[in-house]
Amino acid sequence: MTTLSLPNRTPAYVLVEGLQEFASVSTVHRTAPDGWAREELLLRKLGARGWGRVYHFQNYYISGWGEKGQVLSPRALDAFFRFMETASFPTGRSTQSVFLTDRGGVELVWEDRNGKSVQVEFTGTGAEFYQAATEEEGEVAVDGLAELSRRLSA
Amino acid sequence: MSNVFPIQIPERQPSRISPCPILEAVFEARFVSPQPWATMPGLLFAQIREKYPEQNNLPVAQLAEEARRQNPALMLLPQIQFLSNSFVIQLGPRVVSLGTKLNAYPGWSAVAEELGWLVERLKAAGFIGETERLGARYIDFFGGDIFNDLRLGLQINEQPLQGLQTDITTLLHRDALAVRLHVSNGAIVATKDGPASGSILDIDAWFGSLDADLFGNGLARFAEAHHAIKGMFFGLLKPEMLSKLSPTYE
Repeated sequence: MTTLSLPNRTPAYVLVEGLQEFASVSTVHRTAPDGWAREELLLRKLGARGWGRVYHFQNYYISGWGEKGQVLSPRALDAFFRFMETASFPTGRSTQSVFLTDRGGVELVWEDRNGKSVQVEFTGTGAEFYQAATEEEGEVAVDGLAELSRRLSA
Repeated sequence: MSNVFPIQIPERQPSRISPCPILEAVFEARFVSPQPWATMPGLLFAQIREKYPEQNNLPVAQLAEEARRQNPALMLLPQIQFLSNSFVIQLGPRVVSLGTKLNAYPGWSAVAEELGWLVERLKAAGFIGETERLGARYIDFFGGDIFNDLRLGLQINEQPLQGLQTDITTLLHRDALAVRLHVSNGAIVATKDGPASGSILDIDAWFGSLDADLFGNGLARFAEAHHAIKGMFFGLLKPEMLSKLSPTYE
């Protein structure tokens, strides 16, 4: 809500000149007020490439894309972040990949320590997953995401 | 980052203080929609025109849609507003809000009643899909330096920083609620008597998409955000300051 302003009305308040920031510094990327922890999480667990892809999805795909005006689900995105909080990935394997799905969700794919694929698609109601090593597939609700994350990361 | 909520919320809170410091209150829902933006103002206006007959395009509406889509921050700005005697409804491609008029806060019961009416009208308008986030923001104004009257301040070398122009913003979390707290002693506001300088206490509290659904628990979430902001306000005020505001308790 901090980007909310009332451009046609006099703003509720303005700061005196000394407290205003007139120029941003190009070397510093400022996150949204509640975005710092999320961006730090992505950089730490997915690296710069994964962070960049999610940043792109969040900022340029949430308002719709494609012929049918697909919309990125905010709940799917939040489910993805909830999963990421407890996820850990094996070191030395290929990096994790993040995709947008046709139905407006987010899909995360990585290789387990034996090189077998693990896929999790986040939706507005939780997640669907497939683990190639065990050929297990299933669905979990939002409140089961942390447990799924721990299980697939083990 | 600490998860401890640092503000002590008093159990007993006034139902009214005077003079009321609330400059403006805004209740906002962000959403995604399967409908194109061009259809939304008409769908909403058809539902609210009896109470909100006056409408204004906001400056961002002058930008081409493609230019707005290239700048994510612009998509969160309202582009049109509808006015009644006591409230302002603002609408953008991904945001709708109910705001009070400047320096004319009508009280929570009036706000809650209007929110209930608006949510029903939004449901009937049929363009809101998933809720992205939902929250409330209260901006209070005080003459003078509010840092003298708050249980909050800055220190340098373990000494409180006093008498200097200061601006503090911090993000707190209280269960599912995110709270952005902004305090400044260098604010200028418009009053009936012209511009006035002083301090603002600006509290913005919201729930994310997994915890809020405008047409499900939306009204309850608005009430929770309001209740939390009220508690933080009274939790931040020093007792001496509160006594100057002639508190009354129910």
